[in-house]
Amino acid sequence: MTAPVTDDGRPIEGGAEPILELVGVRAGYGAIEVLHGVDLVVPRGSLVALLGPNGGGKTTTLRVCSGLLRVASGELRVAGRTVNGAAAHDLARVGVCSVPEGRGIFPNLTVRENLWLATGTGVARDRVESVAFDRFPRLGERRNQLAGTMSGGEQQMLAIARALATEPVVLILDELSMGLAPLVVSALYETVAELASSGISVLVAEQFAKTVLPIAQSAAIMLHGRVVRVGEPAAVEEELASAYLGG
Amino acid sequence: MHLFLTYTIFGLVLGGVYAIAASGLVLTYNTSGIFNFAHGAEAMLGAFLYWEVRYGWGVPTPLALILVLGVFGPLMGGLLYLVIMRGLRNTAEVTKVVVTVALMLGMLYLSEWFWNPQTDRTVVPFFGITSQVKILGADVTTHELIALGTAVLIGLGLRLFFYRLRIGVAMRGAVDDPGLLELNGHNPERIAALSWAMGSFLAVLAGVLLTPISGGALQANSLTLLVIDAFAAAVFGRLRSIPRTYIGALVLGLAASYVLAYSPKTWQWASNFRVSLPMIVLFVVLIVLPQDRLRGASVARTRERAHLPSVRSAVIAGAALVVVVVLLRQLMNDSDITTITLGMTFAVIALSLTLLTGYAGEMNLAAVSFGAIATMVSYHIGVTGHGLASRSTLWGIVVGVIVTAVVGAVVSLPALRLRGLYLGLATMAFGVFLTDMVLMDSNPHRIPLIHTKFSLFSGGAGINSLVIPPLRIGPLDLHDGTTFLVTATVVFAVLGIGLVALRNSSYGRRLTAMKDSPAASATLGQSLLRLKLSVFMLSAAVAGLGGVLMSMALGSVTPDNFSIFLSLSLLMLTVVAGISYVSGALMGGLLSGVGFALIVSTFHDLASRHGSVHGLFSFLASFATVTPALIGIGVGRNPSGSVHDFVDSYRSLRHRPRVLVGGGAVEAVLYVLSLTNVLGHWWFAILTSVLVMFLPLVGQMSDPARREQEAAAVPLELAGIDSPYSDGLRAELDRALGIEDLLPPERLARSRRNGRRSDGSGDRSMTEPLGAGVGDAGT
Ligand SMILES: Nc1ncnc2c1ncn2[C@@H]1O[C@H](COP(=O)(O)OP(=O)(O)O)[C@@H](O)[C@H]1O
Ligand SMILES: [Mg+2]
Repeated sequence: MTAPVTDDGRPIEGGAEPILELVGVRAGYGAIEVLHGVDLVVPRGSLVALLGPNGGGKTTTLRVCSGLLRVASGELRVAGRTVNGAAAHDLARVGVCSVPEGRGIFPNLTVRENLWLATGTGVARDRVESVAFDRFPRLGERRNQLAGTMSGGEQQMLAIARALATEPVVLILDELSMGLAPLVVSALYETVAELASSGISVLVAEQFAKTVLPIAQSAAIMLHGRVVRVGEPAAVEEELASAYLGG
Repeated sequence: MHLFLTYTIFGLVLGGVYAIAASGLVLTYNTSGIFNFAHGAEAMLGAFLYWEVRYGWGVPTPLALILVLGVFGPLMGGLLYLVIMRGLRNTAEVTKVVVTVALMLGMLYLSEWFWNPQTDRTVVPFFGITSQVKILGADVTTHELIALGTAVLIGLGLRLFFYRLRIGVAMRGAVDDPGLLELNGHNPERIAALSWAMGSFLAVLAGVLLTPISGGALQANSLTLLVIDAFAAAVFGRLRSIPRTYIGALVLGLAASYVLAYSPKTWQWASNFRVSLPMIVLFVVLIVLPQDRLRGASVARTRERAHLPSVRSAVIAGAALVVVVVLLRQLMNDSDITTITLGMTFAVIALSLTLLTGYAGEMNLAAVSFGAIATMVSYHIGVTGHGLASRSTLWGIVVGVIVTAVVGAVVSLPALRLRGLYLGLATMAFGVFLTDMVLMDSNPHRIPLIHTKFSLFSGGAGINSLVIPPLRIGPLDLHDGTTFLVTATVVFAVLGIGLVALRNSSYGRRLTAMKDSPAASATLGQSLLRLKLSVFMLSAAVAGLGGVLMSMALGSVTPDNFSIFLSLSLLMLTVVAGISYVSGALMGGLLSGVGFALIVSTFHDLASRHGSVHGLFSFLASFATVTPALIGIGVGRNPSGSVHDFVDSYRSLRHRPRVLVGGGAVEAVLYVLSLTNVLGHWWFAILTSVLVMFLPLVGQMSDPARREQEAAAVPLELAGIDSPYSDGLRAELDRALGIEDLLPPERLARSRRNGRRSDGSGDRSMTEPLGAGVGDAGT
């Protein structure tokens, strides 16, 4: 079920319409521009992997997508509508769910309180809890434990549980694998794959391509603040080595 | 037993009110990271407003309470957040402190402006003073019961709010990660504004409840310093836990009450002791508190920036300062000289802040109080001669300065293991303790073994002041005003050059490393404790020296001369001017020693001379007292200080000698005109400041290289691609990459000869490296 995408990232005639789209986006921190015109498309219902070496600008791109960082120029579109300058909490409410780099949880709140805050997007509290505890029984066992005292994998489960329960339109994940054992990582990505197959569009940033390419429908390589290559996972994988080594 | 019960209940009531105040402080600190020094001032404004509404306007109590507690309190807090506090993101801790300190001073001045402190204002307890109930035989007023009940309700209410309401949980979440909260669909701005509204409500509530309990009339200063009681309690809760804050507040209330009850009447200092109790508790708690974890991950990028001058340019600037002061001396009359001298001694005290805060990132909120210690020592051991012929000796000053450094070590040691804010609190507590307790010590005590009478702060006969005669070292006699002025200036210049040299030394670099990232600095093997302790002692010594000089300039000093508010406004003005600069200290010192006092008294003069527009001028005078606070609040917008902007603007003139020479010539003409009385002195001052301010502008307008500079507006990483690659641009890139640091000197000299920018190596900028972005230019 590979999404038909051309090399420069635009959907081929008749393909799914883009749910999330960056057009010539420039953004940065203060005077420092980090993204120098990023073009990226996430077609509806597909899983796009954003790959590239450290410091390439993946996290910055995702921060732009989730509304935490402002677009300096260019356009950010969600479901075809331009949403430049929308606040992150507004984007969250229209269905953009973002799990940031590191652990997307509140370490000093309990598991239940973390899930309670996930209802900020409008879902009922009961529903969030039942979905989360059904999918990850481990979280149910630790419902009243401080989230920060759980293992890294459990924390990441909690972060993803938010995505499961709130049924977003787009899910944005930043380096789920960071600091986790390979086994835990593959379990997490299984869940992500399930989410994607249930129709949620997903954008995943990863430094280590191996973990995510098998479940992705398309992949983009990001280098020095630009998307330098978009294509099918298999094709992109071949070019990865040179992207990491050369430049 | 009866007495015990009465005072226990009183202590609980007092503790309850402290707890209400302290929990507001903890609340706002946690949700916004800003420790609100104006918390007590908010309580004070609330109490005064309540008095005004209730007694001034005669509004019935319930309505007055609704207006003050329900409307004014939350509104004030919400507005403070939206207008001021929101802009403080990504600023250094000292900037946050200064803004709230400025707010506190501003509110204090504002209250004095609206409510003349000479008038007595009493607030009657709720339901009157006679409304009492008997509890186990002890009389308790209804007001006290209400206060205690309110404290309990607030405690329970906060607990429920934080654990049973989603917005309360969100508020706790905001402490960890406001960004994540936003990703969860919550609006962190609204949550923070709400927390400020709640904090302000709690402050106002405490203020309204407190005055009838402690009795007496409303007093702006003491209500404002309620914040210290609150932070003693808050520190007990490690600025985090509200239940522990409550316990701390109760302990504090009870202790104060028991001291009042059981200290023998012969202890004259007992009432001073009671006032100082929170400070003492604060110190004890600081000693007991476990060490803070170093957090490496949360190194914030702050907005403060500073340029670092070379020692050579510091020497030139120092010499220039002395010459300028000598020249200006010719234009001044005797009273001006005394005022300027005072300003210069303040500038010396401000230098201690440049060292401590500007270079090392630590805080001292009571710099002037350290001056009091050196003053006392030098009074007691360093005065020779009698009457007009008496003189201070160098020996007295040297010992005074050493003692001050040692006291500085003792004061700071317990707080140094903790985060910077705790040191700020400890010093502030020390400052208040000193003025309330030590400097009030005017009655002679009999010292047990040697049977002589001695008091710390009295010139004899119970008078609460000290006469500090001018210094004489050999032929140098500061009795002469001009000599004093020039000496003070030279002291400032020498210390300033010393500081710049220090900053350029490896010690200075270690200080900066510690300021930027304590964790990284510790992993490099630095002993943070030793570094902090040494710099604090050094800075206390400088403050001590400045303090003695200040006392000499004043001639005779009272405890008021060392008030904590003076220290705070000095810190504030120095930060406004630029805390990382020696020139910032000069400006801050002169402003607090001279500037505003002069402006205010000028307006008062005008007001008394021109009867018809008296109202206008006294308004302006009152307004001028509030101005420094307004400027301080504005520091959130420009945290690097005005000297920084000034230096930046003059930087562009470095390669324009003709503009500089022209400006100098105009200034010389002005000086000569003024010296020959063709030009009034005020005109001279005004024209000079206009010239100084507009010279960079003139330079820019006539700059042939301006087009090139505009080209540099292209983002650095595109320079050379989107714009021509010029020499100036290369210099700019070198600076951004810090290449001057890396190149061997001979290559540096060569590249500088080729480059358009021909300034000295001291011109290194400490701006963060733009390396990440620039790297792209090569690919
Ligand atoms: N808060 C920040 N301020 C300034 N520069 C930043 C900030 N965060 C990231 N950068 C810079 O942006 C670039 C891209 O970083 P990032 O988006 O985190 O890359 P990635 O996620 O691909 O590793 C890096 O060069 C990094 O130095
Ligand atoms: Mg990243």
